[in-house]
Amino acid sequence: MMTLIRRELLDNLMTFRFAAATFITLLLVVANTFVLIIDYERRLASHNDAVKMHQRQLQEKITYSAGEVRVDRPPNPLSIFNVGFDKRLGNEIEVSHKLVPSLWDAGMHGSDNPFMDMFASMDIVFIFEVILSLFALIFAYNAFAGEYESGTLRLVLTHPIGRGKILVAKYMSAMLCLIVPLLISLLLAIILLTTSTSISLNSDDFLRIGGIILTSVAYLSVFYLIGLLISAATRRTSTALMLSMFVWGFLVLVYPNMILTVIPRPASPDALRTSAFNRIENIWETFDRERKHYLSTDDFPGEDWGYELRGIGWRGANFRDYAPILLYTYRSVMHFEGFGEKDEPKMPHAQKHFGFLGAQTIDAADRTWLIRKPALEEIFIQPADTERIYLKLSPVGLYDAATQAWAGTDLLGIRDFFDAARQYRQSVINYFYDSKVFESRQWFSGDKGAADWSGLPQFSFQRDNIDTNAKRAIPDVCLLLMINVVLFIVIFLIFVKSEV
Amino acid sequence: MWHIAKRELSDNLNSLRFALATVLLLGLMLTNAVVHLREHPERVQQYRERVSGHQNHIAAHASNGLYDLAQEGPGYLYKKPSNLRFCAEGSETFMSDRAQAGYHRWSTDTLKSFWILAYPSATPNRDNVRPEVTKVDWGFIIGYVLSLVALLFTFDSISGERERGTLRLTLSNAIPRHTVLIGKFLGAFISVSIPFILGVLVNLLVISTSSDVHLDAEAWGRLGIIFFIAVLYTCLFLALGMLVSARVQRSAVSLVVLLLVWVVFVVFMPSTLASIAGRSTSSGPTYDFSERSWKLHEELSSDYYANYDEGPEGSTKRIEIDGAYVTKDAEQQEQLHEERLNRRIAEVHRARAITRLSPVTIVQNLIESFAGTGFERHLQFLENVKTYAREFRTFIVDTDNADPESLHIFGVRTGMSQEPVSPEAVPKFEDTLNLSKDFNTAATELLLLTLFVLVLLSGAYLAFVRVEV
Repeated sequence: MMTLIRRELLDNLMTFRFAAATFITLLLVVANTFVLIIDYERRLASHNDAVKMHQRQLQEKITYSAGEVRVDRPPNPLSIFNVGFDKRLGNEIEVSHKLVPSLWDAGMHGSDNPFMDMFASMDIVFIFEVILSLFALIFAYNAFAGEYESGTLRLVLTHPIGRGKILVAKYMSAMLCLIVPLLISLLLAIILLTTSTSISLNSDDFLRIGGIILTSVAYLSVFYLIGLLISAATRRTSTALMLSMFVWGFLVLVYPNMILTVIPRPASPDALRTSAFNRIENIWETFDRERKHYLSTDDFPGEDWGYELRGIGWRGANFRDYAPILLYTYRSVMHFEGFGEKDEPKMPHAQKHFGFLGAQTIDAADRTWLIRKPALEEIFIQPADTERIYLKLSPVGLYDAATQAWAGTDLLGIRDFFDAARQYRQSVINYFYDSKVFESRQWFSGDKGAADWSGLPQFSFQRDNIDTNAKRAIPDVCLLLMINVVLFIVIFLIFVKSEV
Repeated sequence: MWHIAKRELSDNLNSLRFALATVLLLGLMLTNAVVHLREHPERVQQYRERVSGHQNHIAAHASNGLYDLAQEGPGYLYKKPSNLRFCAEGSETFMSDRAQAGYHRWSTDTLKSFWILAYPSATPNRDNVRPEVTKVDWGFIIGYVLSLVALLFTFDSISGERERGTLRLTLSNAIPRHTVLIGKFLGAFISVSIPFILGVLVNLLVISTSSDVHLDAEAWGRLGIIFFIAVLYTCLFLALGMLVSARVQRSAVSLVVLLLVWVVFVVFMPSTLASIAGRSTSSGPTYDFSERSWKLHEELSSDYYANYDEGPEGSTKRIEIDGAYVTKDAEQQEQLHEERLNRRIAEVHRARAITRLSPVTIVQNLIESFAGTGFERHLQFLENVKTYAREFRTFIVDTDNADPESLHIFGVRTGMSQEPVSPEAVPKFEDTLNLSKDFNTAATELLLLTLFVLVLLSGAYLAFVRVEV
C-alpha cells in the first residue's frame, strides 16, 4: 500500500502540472492577498473615520432631539478569505427611539465612487474555487484512463493487491499533491495577514481559518473524485479530459450564474407588502391622532407642537415613509440656543408634551417592528434563501456558503450586527427614560446647559464566537463530505467491475 | 489548404467536444433570450411610465407659472433602456438609470432653493440580500465560455498530431507550412463558429419572434458588429491555442499551459487589475462631500444674512439680494456635484485603462458600447442630461425676457414673469443613443483587440515554422 502511494506520489510530483499548479496558486493568492489587505485597511480607516465623525457630530448637538446616535459596523478581517456580504450591505445605522433599526435602513460609508463597484472584486476563496477545482480535474483525468491506455493498470493488478487499495492509494497521493499548493498559499496569505499591523487575529479567527481550510480540502476532493469518476468511466484520456473540462465549465462557470435566472421567480409579494404597510400606516395614523388630541386638550392654547417658541435655532417635524421597505417613522427635532423672556412660561408645557411624545413614538415604533420584521423576512430574506439553496446544488455554491459562514460574512453574520444595534437601541431608550431625557429642557433647547452625551451607553459589537460560525457552516461542510463519500463509492463500484 | 481545413472540420464535427460545446452554447444563448424576453417588456413599460410622469410633472409646474417651473426644475430624467441589453447587462446594474434635475436642499419662509442637477448613484446592493451572480449575457458567453471552448478546440491541433505522428505525414506532402497552419486555423475556426452561430441564431430567433421586443435596422447593425467582435475574440484564443500547441511537445502539457493562461487573463486579470487601479485612486469618504456642500451653503447664507437689512421688504433691492443668494447657491452646489461626478468618471477611466490589458475586458467593453449599455453609454446619457438642462434653463430665461413686465431677477417669485407658461412649449427630455459616438470610443479598443490577434497569429506562425517534427 505504501509502495503504491509512493509510486503515485512520485508520478504526480514530478509532473509539469504539479509545478504549474503550485506556482500559479501561489502567485494568484499572494498577489491578491496584497490587494485585499490594502483594501481591508482602507475600509478599516474609513470605519474609524466614520466612528469619529459620528461622535463629533453627536457632541456638536446641544439638544437631545437633534442628536443622531449612529453606530458603525467594522469590516471583518476574514472578509479577505470570503468577502460575502461584508462590503455590500450597509455599514452604518442610526439608532433612535423613532425607529427599530434593520438591515434595510442602514447607510453606507466608505468608497466615494459607486461606479467602481462594476469592477468585480475577488477573495481567496474565489481563487480556490476556480483554480483548485481546475487542477483537481487536471490531476484526475488520466488517473485510470491513462493507465488503461499505457497498460500499466493491468501490470499493477497482476500483483496480489485489492482494487480498493489501488483506488485509495491513487486518491491519497493525488490529494496530498493537491493540498500542497493549497496549504503553502494559505500559509503565505496568513503570514502576510499577520505582518499587517492593522489586522489582529485572535485564536478564534485562526480556528475559523482552520474551518475554511477544512472546507477547501473537502471541496478539492469533490472535484478530484469527479475527475476520477470521469476517468474511470471513459477509459480514454482525451475523452476524459474533454468531458472534465466541460463539466468544470458547467459547474464553475455556467451553473452558478445561470440557475438564478432559470428558476421560476416567486410571485411578487406586493399584496403582502401593501397589507403590512397599511397596518403600519394605521399605527402611525393612530399615533398622529393621539398626538393632536394631546395638543388640543392640554392646558396650553393652540395646536402647535413647537408651542410657538421663537428663538435662535431651527425646528422641524415630519413623517417619513417608504413603502418598498415598509419604513414609517415620525421625527420632530428642535435645536434652539436661546429664547426670549416671554417664552419662559411655555417651557413646562413643551417639556411635558415631549415627554408624552417620546413614549408614544417608542410605542409606535415598537409596534411597527412587530409587523415589519416578519414582513421584511418574507419579502426579502425568504426568496434570497431559496436562491441560495438552488446555488448549493453545485459544489461551488456549497463551498462558497460554508466559507462565508466560517468567515462570518454570510447574511446571518451581518444580521448579527443589526441585532446588536436593536439591543443597543433598547439600552439607549432605557437610559433616556432613566435620566428623564424626553421631558428635560435639553430635549429641545440648549439655553440652560447643553445635552450631556457622555452618559450614553456605549455600543459594542462582538462577532459571534466560533461555535456559532461552526453551527452555520457544518451543514454545508457535511453535504460536501457526503458528496465525497457517494462519489467514492460510485468510483469504487465502477473500478471493481471494470475489465482491464 | 481547403483540404486541410476540411479534414480538420470533419475531425472536429464528430468529436465529443463539438457536441458538448454545441449543447453548452445553445443552452446559454437560449437562457439569455428567455430571460431577456421576461425582463425587457417590464423595463420598457417602466420607462414609458416614468417618461410620462416626467412630462406630467413639467406640465403641472408650468401651469403654476414660470417661477414654479424654474424653481422645481424638470424632475427626474430617465435613461432609455437599450433593446440590446441582452448582449451586455453586466455593469448596467451598477449605473443609475436616472439623473435628478430637481434637487432641493432648503427653504425659508420666503425663499426656496432652486433646482440643480444631481447624479444619484445606483446602489443596487445596499439592501440586496440575494446571492450575487454574474449575469448571463452575451458578454459572459463570449468572454468566458466561448474563449474556453476555443482553447479546448485548439490545444491539441499541432501537438496532438505530432504525438500521433500524422503531422510528419502531412508535412511530407508538398504543402508549405503556412498553408498547413492556415488550414488548421480555418478548420478550428469553422468548428468553433458552428456552435456559436447556432446559439446566436436561436437566441435572435427567440428574441425577434416575440412581439414584445422590437429590433430595428440599427439594432441589427449593432448586433452584426458585436458578432464581428466575438469572431475576432475567438480568433485571438484560437491563435493562442495554436501558438502554445506548436511550442509544447505534449498536448496534455499544452492544455495545462493554456488553461493557466486562460484563468490568469480571463478570470483573474480583470478583477485584480481593477482592484489595483481602484486602490491607486482612492478618493475621500462620502461625508466629506456633504460637509463641503453644507459649508459652502453656510458661508453663503451668513453673507446673505449680513446684508439682510439693506433693502426693505418688497423693494427691488431686496429682490435683487434674494435672487442673487438663491442663484449663487444653486450654481455653487451644482458645480460641486459636477466636480464630484467628473472626479468619479476620471477614476473609472483610469481603472478601465489598466484593465484593458485583459482581452476579456476589452471585449466586454466593446460589446457594452455597441449594445448601448455600460459605462460609455452612461456618459452619453449624462451628456444628454446636461444638454437638456442647458436647454431648459435657456427656455426659462427666454420666456422671462419675452415678458416686458418682469423684473428679470431669477430666484424670487416677485422678480420673475407672472405670465402663464404653456406646458407644450417647455422642452421635454428625450434620451437618445448615437452609434457614431460609440464607434469613436470603441475604436481604440477594437484596434487593441486586432493587435492582440495579429501578434498571436504571427507568434503561432513563427512557432509552427520552426517546429521540428
